[in-house]
Amino acid sequence: MKSLSLAGLVLVLFLAGIFVYVVEDVPAFGDAKSPANRYIALFSIDAAGMVESLDAGVVPAEIKSRTEAMGFNRENYFPTLEEGNYVIARNEEDEGWDILIHEGEIFFTEPLKYYHVKEAEGKLTIYRYNWPVRVMEMTEEETGTMNAVTSGLADYRGYDTMFEETVIFSGAVCVVLLLRKRGRL
Amino acid sequence: MSHGKEAEKKATGPGSTAGPAKKEYKRDVIIETTAKAMVPLILLFALYVMVGTEATGGGFQGGTILAAGYVLYVTAFGTVKGRERMPESWNTFFKSFGLYLYCGAGFLAIIFSLGAAQFLNYSAVWPLARIVGIAVTRGYLLAFMVSVGIGTTVMAAFVSQFFDLAWKDEDEEKEKEKSEVVE
Repeated sequence: MKSLSLAGLVLVLFLAGIFVYVVEDVPAFGDAKSPANRYIALFSIDAAGMVESLDAGVVPAEIKSRTEAMGFNRENYFPTLEEGNYVIARNEEDEGWDILIHEGEIFFTEPLKYYHVKEAEGKLTIYRYNWPVRVMEMTEEETGTMNAVTSGLADYRGYDTMFEETVIFSGAVCVVLLLRKRGRL
Repeated sequence: MSHGKEAEKKATGPGSTAGPAKKEYKRDVIIETTAKAMVPLILLFALYVMVGTEATGGGFQGGTILAAGYVLYVTAFGTVKGRERMPESWNTFFKSFGLYLYCGAGFLAIIFSLGAAQFLNYSAVWPLARIVGIAVTRGYLLAFMVSVGIGTTVMAAFVSQFFDLAWKDEDEEKEKEKSEVVE
C-alpha cells in the first residue's frame, strides 16, 4: 500500500513537471496566429494606391498574398481571393469595404461575407468575420428564423444536436435495461 | 369530492386495521383538482416552447416540460391510471420516433439531392424550397421536424425513467409485504 502511494506521488510530480514544461511553450499573448487575432483583426498595411483599387472592385495583390500566408488558403480549405471569385461592396455602416466570396456551395450560390477592410490614418486594416457575428447577422437571411440560438443549435450544428439526442435515447434504453424486470413491457 | 372522504375513511377507519391487507392507492382531493387544472396548461406551455423557432427554448426544454406535465398527472392519479393514458408501447414508440424524425429530416435532404452528400442540409429539400424559398424551408424543417423530434424523444425518455423508478419501488414494497406475511 505504501509503495502504491509513493508511485502515485511520483506520477503526480511527473505530470506537474510536464504541465509546467508545456505552459512554458504556450505562445505569449498577442501571437499573430492565436484565434483571437486570426479571426478578428488580421493585419494592417499602408493604404497607398489601394483605396482606388478597392473602389474599382479589385483586391490588391498584397492583401491576397498576406491573407493566404496567414492560413486562409486552399490547403486549409478556405476559399481564396481569386479573380472573379469575390465581390467588393462598400459598407456604409462600418465605413469600410466588405469582401464577399463565392464558396462554391450547391444550394447557396450567393457570395458570403468573409473579410472587412477599414481605412484609418493612411492605413488599411483587414478584419476576418468571426463565426458568431456571421451567424447573428445572417441567420434570418439564411434560415428564415429570427432566433440565432435555434438556428445555431439545430441548423449550423445539426450533427451535434442529433447525436446529443442519440445520447439521451441510449441513456433511456440503458435505464430500461438496468431497472426493468422482464414481463413489464 | 366524495371519493376523497371515502379514501380517508378506508385509511383511518376500523376496517383497515386488519393486518397488512392489500394496500390501495391513497387519493387526495386537493392534489387531484390541482393536477386536473394544471396539466392542460403545462402541456400547452410545453407545445409553445417546443414547436416553432421564434419562442424561447427548444426541443429539449419543451420535451422536459411535456414530461413534467405527465409526471404530475401520474403523481396525482397513480401509476395504473397514468399508464392507461399513455401505454408502455406508445412510450417505446415515441422514444425512437423522435430520433427517426430528426434523422428523417437529414435523409429527406439526401433523397431530394439525389444521393449527394447533403445530410442535414435542409435547403436541399427542393420541392418545398420552390414554393416557399430556401430560407423558409430550413425554418420549417427546423420548427416542425427537428424540434418536435427532439421533444418527443426527451419526453419519452423522461417518462420511461420515471416509470422504471416508480415500478421498482412498488415491486420492492410488494416483496416486503410478502416476506412479512411469510413470517
